[in-house]
Amino acid sequence: MRVSRWSTALAALVLTTTACSGGGESVDVGGSGSGGADASGAQLVAALSAEPDQLDPHKTTAYASFQVLENVYDTLVQPDEQLEMRPALAESWETSKDQLTWTFKLRNGVKFHDGKDFTADDVVYSYERIIDEELSNAYRFESVKNVRAVDDTTVEIEVKRPTPNLLALIGGFKGMAIVSEENVTSGDIGRGPVGTGPFMLDEYVSGDSITLTANEDYWGGAPELGSVQFTFVSEPTVALANLQSGEVQWTDNLPPQQVEALGSDGTIETGVVPSNDYWYFAANQARPPFDDPLVRQALAYGVDREEITEAAKFGLATVNQTAIPRTSQWYYDYAPYSYDPERARQLLDEAGVENLTIDFMVTNEYPETISAAQVMADQLSEVGVKLDIRTEDFATWLDDQAKGNFDAFMLGWLGNIDPQDFYYAQHHSDGANNYQKYSNPEVDRLLDQAGQETDDEQRQELYNQAVEIIVDDASYIYLYNPDVVQGWAPELKGYTVRPDRAIRFHQASLSE
Amino acid sequence: MARYVLRRAGQAAVVLLGVSLIVFALMQLVPGDPVRVALGTRFDQETYDALRARAGLDQPLPVQYAQYLGNALTGDLGVSFRSGQPVTASLLERLPATLSLAGVALLIALLIAVPLGLISATRSGKVSDYVATVFSQIGVSIPDFWMAILLIVLFTSTLGWLPPSGYVPFTEDPVDWLAHIVLPAVTVGVVSGSILTRFVRSAVLESMGQEHVRTATAKGLPGSLVLRRHVLRGALVPILTVTGVQLATLLGGVVVVEVIFAWPGLGRLTYDAVAARDYPLMQGAVLMFAAVFLLVNLLVDLLYAALDPRIRY
Repeated sequence: MRVSRWSTALAALVLTTTACSGGGESVDVGGSGSGGADASGAQLVAALSAEPDQLDPHKTTAYASFQVLENVYDTLVQPDEQLEMRPALAESWETSKDQLTWTFKLRNGVKFHDGKDFTADDVVYSYERIIDEELSNAYRFESVKNVRAVDDTTVEIEVKRPTPNLLALIGGFKGMAIVSEENVTSGDIGRGPVGTGPFMLDEYVSGDSITLTANEDYWGGAPELGSVQFTFVSEPTVALANLQSGEVQWTDNLPPQQVEALGSDGTIETGVVPSNDYWYFAANQARPPFDDPLVRQALAYGVDREEITEAAKFGLATVNQTAIPRTSQWYYDYAPYSYDPERARQLLDEAGVENLTIDFMVTNEYPETISAAQVMADQLSEVGVKLDIRTEDFATWLDDQAKGNFDAFMLGWLGNIDPQDFYYAQHHSDGANNYQKYSNPEVDRLLDQAGQETDDEQRQELYNQAVEIIVDDASYIYLYNPDVVQGWAPELKGYTVRPDRAIRFHQASLSE
Repeated sequence: MARYVLRRAGQAAVVLLGVSLIVFALMQLVPGDPVRVALGTRFDQETYDALRARAGLDQPLPVQYAQYLGNALTGDLGVSFRSGQPVTASLLERLPATLSLAGVALLIALLIAVPLGLISATRSGKVSDYVATVFSQIGVSIPDFWMAILLIVLFTSTLGWLPPSGYVPFTEDPVDWLAHIVLPAVTVGVVSGSILTRFVRSAVLESMGQEHVRTATAKGLPGSLVLRRHVLRGALVPILTVTGVQLATLLGGVVVVEVIFAWPGLGRLTYDAVAARDYPLMQGAVLMFAAVFLLVNLLVDLLYAALDPRIRY
């Protein structure tokens, strides 16, 4: 008898302590979360959805890394909010008459975070590193013949052929950052990058957080914030809970189904802007019957983009039948396809195709490909096409893509700015990323010509012509441009959501 | 005793060698190429070849393995493809968070399992037994990610008592450490505790059926004394065994819980490494888990002798 009473009491005690232990002692929650605030300014805590793999801007390909590095590094030129290229480390530039030499005048008195002066040699070193070590951005220098320092504040880039998109190539994102040679040779750059940007690295706690402090000597003016701490919260519900409880003041990881409701109650501000990313699917033209444009057009008529967007993105995307979004100066309004199952069936008949089964490759790395594929499978069954969805992890997916081991796949392209980046590598016969094996001499000619045309209006015209053919041939079947969705506490001021997803906290401040 | 430990250590070394060979072979069989992942969708042959050569992946497999093994013996597990950081350091960095979560979670698990299991066993067939059984059944069945979200909604969003996620080192601020560890540790602890409860119950029941227990009861010893001195002692060895296995599992990291609570543990590190086909980090992590498993098992075996006088090495 005594035994059971004793154990029951203990069990009850255990249950109570496990249920609320720590409850009475929890401090520093529900507050501002700015415990480590710097004397000179407030600390912003920002929750990213993933942890950077490394902080070497030339070697990482992870978006999470660039979210941090955006605030640490500079490029020669950088895109403004409308994605037009503006001066950054370079104050001005000019091109020679024959368009084969670009001369950049560098900003004076810029220092790296370690106090070293920034000079033309750093630009040459950074670019040569990318080219000589064949790093993943080397393709951006494909037309570049030579980079040299004329004097301390002048850099000259020689190109093999006119390259009107050179500014976007060298300044489009922080993968083209100007790094410090010492930082690279010491091997510290992966965890302790030294840049010229508005914030400098303070602390990196693996798996937990990265803290940056303000660079008071920044050439663009000292930031208002004293420091920025990036934490890594991969579960959207938890990121939202962090934002609501005041543990963090900014996140790009909101549960999509809640975004609409969140904006309305005023405790959280949300920013939604169409991005420059686009999602598409493509059929393998090396495999019959997908070599027949009629079959590909049938697929383009057989899918309802609105419904796909709703299912895959909870409506947080804009349907598009080309790659470049409405917000861009390069947008071309061309949308020949409508959701028309009848038309799709006719086209398949015309092509003499019956009982078509498609091995459709998607990846759990990007869950929206899975949900979109499920919706498309349903829609295409209406026209007698069976979509066999094959879900793979990204490593296997990329392998199969490279080997051409698919009938069709869905994926997206992220962060392009110039039309050449949107169309060349994907649709030119020699394009490095033409995995669907599309080849049309007319498109090749137009893209080659557009890539060298220096007059913007002429360029636009050439791209428009190329795009019409690409869309008519259904080389890619374009689906939508996703929105950039971010949420922050109302105290955060001076922050803008950008279509290129660059996260810049230089101008941001936290009010009391 | 010393000879026993030495012999076990020798066996462990052989097992680890086997594990390293199997892991290395498996890596080659898993589809997916780390260099392709590192380059993402942008791909060209020259960049690919350059990166492959830099990572040493162009060497013949036996050479790769021999190099790996040689370095591993000196504690150098190679360099991560993804981060460019030494694997050994990357693993050690995550150890404190994993240790504290495993420790606190196991404590919670035992605080749940031992009393519940005891009640269940001593009152077998009565209402409290059923309540305890149902509780442990629920604990096992509830998916941990769901329980984690429920706990966050309750204790953060609704009550505002605890921070929703994150980790603070104990050495930095013990109170904050506690506030951050409660939710993940309870999530893991309830699941572990529910599993353990069943083992405690059956171990105690079995022990209660032993002849020496019947003798002790027949002698007229009070029930509490019989339970403490005879029943529990007999049940300790099987309980210890399962607890050891649970601990070793927790030390390997609890991926789902770590992901939800943004906990900087080994589970998440390993998960990311697998997704990126980061061979060196994967190999290192598996080797370390195997070593931890062996070590915990050895300690458990040694504890047997301390607990049960019938066992001698």
